[in-house]
Amino acid sequence: MSEMKKIKNLKEFSTSADRFEGANLLCPGCAHSIIVREVLNATNDDLILSASTGCLEVCTAVYPYTSWDASWIHIGFENGSTAVAGAEAMYKALKTKKRLKQPDRNPKFVSFAGDGASYDIGFQWISGCMERGHNMMHVVLDNEVYANTGGQRSSSTPIGSSATTSPAGRVSYGEKKNKKDMVAIMASHGIPYSAQVAPNKWKDMVKKIQHGMEVDGPVFINAVSPCTTEWKFDPKDTMLLTDLSTDSLVFPLYEIIDGHELNITYRPKEKDIVPVEEYLAAQGRFKHLFKDQYKYLIKEWQERVDANWAYLNRREEARV
Amino acid sequence: MANTGWDEFEIGAMLRTFEGEAGDIAGTLQEDRKYTENSSFSASVADWRIEKPIFAKDYCIDCQFCWIYCPDMSIISRDKKMIGIDMDHCKGCGICVEVCPTNPKSLLMFPEQADEEAELAQWPAKETKEK
Ligand SMILES: Cc1ncc(C[n+]2csc(CCOP(=O)(O)OP(=O)(O)O)c2C)c(N)n1
Ligand code: SF4
Ligand code: SF4
Ligand code: SF4
Ligand SMILES: [Mg+2]
Repeated sequence: MSEMKKIKNLKEFSTSADRFEGANLLCPGCAHSIIVREVLNATNDDLILSASTGCLEVCTAVYPYTSWDASWIHIGFENGSTAVAGAEAMYKALKTKKRLKQPDRNPKFVSFAGDGASYDIGFQWISGCMERGHNMMHVVLDNEVYANTGGQRSSSTPIGSSATTSPAGRVSYGEKKNKKDMVAIMASHGIPYSAQVAPNKWKDMVKKIQHGMEVDGPVFINAVSPCTTEWKFDPKDTMLLTDLSTDSLVFPLYEIIDGHELNITYRPKEKDIVPVEEYLAAQGRFKHLFKDQYKYLIKEWQERVDANWAYLNRREEARV
Repeated sequence: MANTGWDEFEIGAMLRTFEGEAGDIAGTLQEDRKYTENSSFSASVADWRIEKPIFAKDYCIDCQFCWIYCPDMSIISRDKKMIGIDMDHCKGCGICVEVCPTNPKSLLMFPEQADEEAELAQWPAKETKEK
């Protein structure tokens, strides 16, 4: 087994040689790219990667260009995960038959996909990968919307968000269904590791990615990815939005080991917890919630977030 | 290659990022890699910018916040030091300026046509925070 890359602090991390390149066509300020860099730079091992259709794939493989410095494959919207699972299965078979040309290398298998491609359209493919026990990691770039096709709602879109297929207006406050709890669903496959991460907390991210790459078996990672275009905020504020998402506990950071043991990995001090209202107010997609008729939804939002935080804390305490 | 249309793209075609054997990419810095013209590294998005960041080295504490949060791999850090900006790949988002913790900031945004030397000569002074 190869040595885990040592990343004690940010200065040490900054000596990494990126394997993801610029002059891709992601929007200025797109968080997808920040997440991908943190994931790829967490290891020096060879990488076998895929991306499902979506902003990341479309913007980093614009023929005749590629922005990837590693083996990378794209097939369709639904099957980025199974493309990597197939490569992993072949790798295992060749290893057993002693037919690997470089048997001492220790490649990592990672599929990237949006929330649309993971929560909805590639759902059963990912479930299959988790259930079959492939030694791979699936990373969701969760911007809570089908961004690449113009902002349709997905089952990750939260209540009150205005999406093009659930627009806010005179008769509606936008999306009416609550976001699906994908981390819990994936953990319930009994996989060795699943976690929620955010690019602002790079150390937590690197720790989780490295752990995920070390364990034997499937790993599921949900990464919050603020989208300047669809969440409607200024591109310079991507990290501010990420901070608001973790510090309001709208995106709590935690991990679930072996499908049941839950650990909260980031616990902001009581006085540093940001009201959910501030998180909502920073984004155009929630603008209408601040009209008198919809203000009750902000209160409900806070109650939901509080209830979820209490639930995670209870699970952590009970070790279940 | 540059004139090949998408409809001439063969199904199952493969793009190579590097000339010859790729070797240990994670252990090779960008300046030492042999990129092909198929790597987007060989391309530029400089014309996307309306504003550009300018780097005032004197104030920099090499915290590397700009390096980790730049979405476009455009902060060049070598040997744990921030040494400059890759102006071919910077899209001018302004994130690096927002996350820079120094006072005055070591990075600021200016109109694309601004003159770097002139701006560096009149860099803002340290801000005193009101209590
Ligand atoms: C089977 C299939 N259905 C629909 C599409 C059209 N499509 C391409 S990208 C995309 C949106 C992707 O959304 P998501 O997975 O959330 O990624 P994002 O762009 O938000 O990062 C859609 C609907 C497709 N390519 N294939
Ligand atoms: S639409 Fe959103 S997710 Fe897509 S490239 Fe732009 S910022 Fe990134
Ligand atoms: S302006 Fe944006 S793209 Fe340019 S160096 Fe700063 S963070 Fe990177
Ligand atoms: S964020 Fe500012 S102080 Fe930190 S390395 Fe970048 S320029 Fe220097
Ligand atoms: Mg999405």
